[in-house]
Amino acid sequence: MAEAPALDMAGIGKRFPGVVALDDVHLRLAPGKVHALMGENGAGKSTLIKILAGVYRPDTGTIRIAGEQVTLQSPRDALARGIKVVFQEIALIEEFTVAENVFLGEYPVGGAGSIRWDRIRADAAALFDRIGFGVDPAARVRDLPMSQQQMVEIARALAHDARIVVMDEPTSSLTPAEVEQLFAVIRRLTSLGIAVLYVSHKLDEIFAIADTVTVLRDGRHISTRPRSEHSEDSLIHDMIGRRIEALYPRTRGPATDRDILRVENLSAPSGLKNISFHARAGEVVGFFGLMGAGRTELAKAIVGFDPLRAGRITVDGRPLAPHDTATGVALGIGLLTEDRKREGLMLDLPVVQNATLAALGKWARGPFVDFAAERRATQDYVDRFNIRTPSLDQPVRLLSGGNQQKVLIARWLMRGLKVIVVDEPTRGIDVGAKSEIFALIDELAGAGLAVVMMTSEMSELLGLSDRIMVMAGGRITAEFPVATATQEAILNAAIV
Amino acid sequence: MPPSSDMATRPSALGRLFRRNETALALCLLLLIAVFGVLSDSFLTTRNMTNVLGQAALPLIAATGLALVVIAGEIDVSIGSLFGAVALPLIVVMNVTGSFALGSAAALVFAFAVGAVNGWLVAYVRLNSLIVTLGMLFVLRGLIYLYTGQRAIPDDAMLETFYQIGNGRFLRTLPYPALIAAAVLAVFLWILRYRRFGRQIIAVGGSPEVARLAGYDVARVKFATFVIAALLTAIAGIIMASRQGSAVHVTGIGFEFQVVAAVVLGGVSLAGGIGSLWGVALGVLILAFLANGLGQLNLPTEWQLVITGIIIIAAVTLDESRRRKR
Repeated sequence: MAEAPALDMAGIGKRFPGVVALDDVHLRLAPGKVHALMGENGAGKSTLIKILAGVYRPDTGTIRIAGEQVTLQSPRDALARGIKVVFQEIALIEEFTVAENVFLGEYPVGGAGSIRWDRIRADAAALFDRIGFGVDPAARVRDLPMSQQQMVEIARALAHDARIVVMDEPTSSLTPAEVEQLFAVIRRLTSLGIAVLYVSHKLDEIFAIADTVTVLRDGRHISTRPRSEHSEDSLIHDMIGRRIEALYPRTRGPATDRDILRVENLSAPSGLKNISFHARAGEVVGFFGLMGAGRTELAKAIVGFDPLRAGRITVDGRPLAPHDTATGVALGIGLLTEDRKREGLMLDLPVVQNATLAALGKWARGPFVDFAAERRATQDYVDRFNIRTPSLDQPVRLLSGGNQQKVLIARWLMRGLKVIVVDEPTRGIDVGAKSEIFALIDELAGAGLAVVMMTSEMSELLGLSDRIMVMAGGRITAEFPVATATQEAILNAAIV
Repeated sequence: MPPSSDMATRPSALGRLFRRNETALALCLLLLIAVFGVLSDSFLTTRNMTNVLGQAALPLIAATGLALVVIAGEIDVSIGSLFGAVALPLIVVMNVTGSFALGSAAALVFAFAVGAVNGWLVAYVRLNSLIVTLGMLFVLRGLIYLYTGQRAIPDDAMLETFYQIGNGRFLRTLPYPALIAAAVLAVFLWILRYRRFGRQIIAVGGSPEVARLAGYDVARVKFATFVIAALLTAIAGIIMASRQGSAVHVTGIGFEFQVVAAVVLGGVSLAGGIGSLWGVALGVLILAFLANGLGQLNLPTEWQLVITGIIIIAAVTLDESRRRKR
């Protein structure tokens, strides 16, 4: 090839305490092409992007931009070298106008160093004209919908003369019409010779926009092929691999017939629309959906964390008070949150206090807590779940993700639950510990709990569930018994 | 994008004017002046009006500095003690050298050091700014007491310029402190609008992550706001010493909260990133006219405190509910 690749990453490795996030990954972007980066959660996509953005530094490997080897010291440095990453979390100053955000950090100034607002407005308007982008440069970012905020970020990339634009799940909060608009902008970028790295796990988008596809799995490079050589099956195969059976040993028996959780016609301000389902004792009901489908919202609504607009939830026939976690817990429903660090753990408190938080009354002796009994109970779970911690007094912050998750599961089991809602149970947990969490979830169902599992990982869904519900846009769009579910059917229902 | 959606997200110019916090505050101020004008004969006189402006000048100078700190996402409550403390180097150096310029320089150097310590601890050591500046508030007050032995130190130099700066009036009407405050306000209004540093302050308070991604040195910006706040407080403190003709050990006790109240009343968000100096100026004026008007009506100062407190809470409640409606 005559032309040097816009970006050439080779042998990239990155480890975090306890986790190998990337291992010998390579990626090569051609100018004027759209390169898709795919993989399940935890595959290493985000780590790779953050390296490109200058947020993380790789432990090993080299990065070349247009043939020249570089080290990306900081986000500023990456930007200066022509790499613009548009993260899902929009990075704009909400109080500023669109035009000012476009020129953030590089204001045009006059002779005395004063900011030239007239030029900011005019240049922004001219730029928007050029990329066919109909937003008022004088509008405040705070007043814009998400889709337009994203466009502002892309416009900013162009204002900074970016040669490489990385988009992280750019369509997660866009309507189909807005997605079309985004694609038009992407085509405009490539026609200007800009290399686009498009990170997504939505197959239809990949087939619509990408020229080349690279798949990562468990931090490793699996394949890089032209899109034309891929079918949906081959992509899914690359993303998931053949490891489902090995990872998910099923020890529990079949589910019982006894309904424990019933959810009827649930709607909520968070975007849930008319959701009804039930879960039986000993059953794992898996909810699949893409980003923004409403999985976490549903999890939070059923346990009473979020308010409802309409609908009824019963546990063992007894209704839950809406928007009230206390009665939920009292009736035996608990949430294993996707955001362990913020909503699950008290990071600086020891294992024992984290484990016994929901069930402290059990060890009450009058107005006091019987600490010895509390510790004995915790020790039981530490042994049973194989929680690796030097002592019960270790702050949970210092435990690995998998062990933290086990502490949280222990917390709910001590409380004596009937229904446990688990949201992305293996997020941020490395492969080895994942199988232990799967075994625990299997065990929970085996012990007669109804398990409602929210996941965006196909393998987890197929490996653990008895029944699969698919969500899109806040609704349930399909239901399959696991035996008849196929990845294609599930994805089709999720993309609706 | 159809033009209709643009229309929906953009209110008319008039609508925007009325939605602005500053408009509401200005109306509030006019209403206040009208009410007191009706209730009291002595309120709407030139003498009284210019007096109020003179009284508002000191909190306004300090509030301009504090507003920068708050917009950058931090707080500085040490200004109360600093306001009083700068009188010591000022008066002592003036008494020895007989020079107002040297005295002021000493006061400003002292304030710079205090602001730099505050800013360093908050921006670089990353300590909580409320705690750091609360500590500084105590430290400075303690040092004032130790140095003065809890007595006022009189100004023996008796310089005319020093007297005029706090007590003189331009054309015998407008107090110099009001002119100084207006100049400070104008300079910082300009900086916040037209200098990169000003935009950096707002960006840092709005989102430190975004500011860092844009290449701004977040720590340096925060550090600078603490130094500026201290220097402006020193200017206010120098004027105060001129009025008192001495360094008084109890000067500035509670001043910090008067200033914080004005800043908050002016619509500056304690979470950072939101606020305008016009609002802050109106906040200061509202509190000054309120205190003066209630005084003219011979309401005891105890009631002035109660009413001022209620107005601050009401203003913040209104502002917050408006913000949530969006």
